[in-house]
Amino acid sequence: MSYSRAVKVEATLHGDRKVYSVSAFNRGIGSWLARLPTIWVEGEVTELRRQDGWQSVFLTLKDLEDGSCLPVSMPRTTFDALRLDVADGDRIHVYGRPELYEARGVFQLRALSLEPLGLGAALARIERLKKALAEEGLFAAERKRALPLLPRRIGLLTGNEAAAKRDFLIAVAARFPAVRVLVAETLVQGVRAPGAIAAALEELCREPEIDVVVLARGGGSFEDLLPFSDERVVRAVAACPVPVVSAVGHEQDTPLCDLAADARASTPTAAARLVVPDERQLRADLDRLRAALGRDTRRILERGRQSLATDAQRLTRAPALLLERKRARVDALAGRLRALSPRATLERGYAIVRTESGIVRSAGAAAPGTRIDVELAEGALAARVEETRE
Amino acid sequence: MSPEPSFEEARAELERIVGELESGRADLEDAVRLWERGEELYRLCVAKLDAAEGKIEELGRRAEAVRPDA
Repeated sequence: MSYSRAVKVEATLHGDRKVYSVSAFNRGIGSWLARLPTIWVEGEVTELRRQDGWQSVFLTLKDLEDGSCLPVSMPRTTFDALRLDVADGDRIHVYGRPELYEARGVFQLRALSLEPLGLGAALARIERLKKALAEEGLFAAERKRALPLLPRRIGLLTGNEAAAKRDFLIAVAARFPAVRVLVAETLVQGVRAPGAIAAALEELCREPEIDVVVLARGGGSFEDLLPFSDERVVRAVAACPVPVVSAVGHEQDTPLCDLAADARASTPTAAARLVVPDERQLRADLDRLRAALGRDTRRILERGRQSLATDAQRLTRAPALLLERKRARVDALAGRLRALSPRATLERGYAIVRTESGIVRSAGAAAPGTRIDVELAEGALAARVEETRE
Repeated sequence: MSPEPSFEEARAELERIVGELESGRADLEDAVRLWERGEELYRLCVAKLDAAEGKIEELGRRAEAVRPDA
């Protein structure tokens, strides 16, 4: 059905009276209505009718103050895809365009989307999504990636609010002025925000050298932060090829994108501290490592030198030791030699008797009157044989 | 030739080398080799810090930013 083109409506003439058929009239009105913009309408749900076999879901939207009524229809598949627990009595926002149901001449609001109002409904929807995504493993701890130590380039995704961007950039400059930041601004509020955020995130990640992305959004009402719990945004964060830091809302807010992100910061300033190293700290660490490098190497060299010195000492001592050992052996031989000499026997009180013809071993060798020489341990006696006994 | 390591890789390797030297397992020849590599990595890291240049860009507006002033 195309109502957007102007429809030529033919009238017939009865005398000077222009007359339109019902069909032509409806078609004409329908085409006029179709030129109206798509808008949001707020009201209370009554007479909600939905059946599996139907193409559309029907309800009547009632004005909250004076009870004026507006028929609403919505394609059943669209309605079902929203997975809303809408019931009579709920306050909702309907996004749609006015339309004439020509076959019956009934004016209605053709809904493209609808959103329940109030915390309860939104919370329930977020809870359901959270549970489903958690079961899918999107929030699992093992999916979290470490943030780079020194990102070549940081992607900052933010709304066009000045505060979050300024806070982030100031904190970055304070820690490491030489860091490169690529800022992407996007819609962060309203029905188109989720699609815009997801698209901007993808675009940012396609840029060269982006090592980490920060999603920054200042504080806002619960409704303001709803886009950051939208499934498209949560999935885009989870699918991001580089680590994502979520700095959305305040400490107490936990939009679902926080759970899918690799790290979470309570403020844009805190996010800057997470993604940018402190330059002084970094340089101090490097210097410390270098000092340890020199110290440990010197220690190993010193150890090497010492063991070398010990080796040298052992080497110079070796010949002396050898001599000493030889001397000891000579001394031992000398001792044994001494033990064998007759002198030791003489010491024990024996004597050696000699005549001119040699050592006397038997009495017969020295007849009485023979001069003998008696050698003692100390000194010798010159004697004459008195008598021989054989 | 292996590609030049990133800052992270260089720093991590430097840390590993210091750990190795600290453990005292390295012999003399290794120690000198490790020290040389460590010094090289240190210089690389510092060079990377020195070379970093602060720049804030806006996505989708760079075309305007690089256009010379008319």
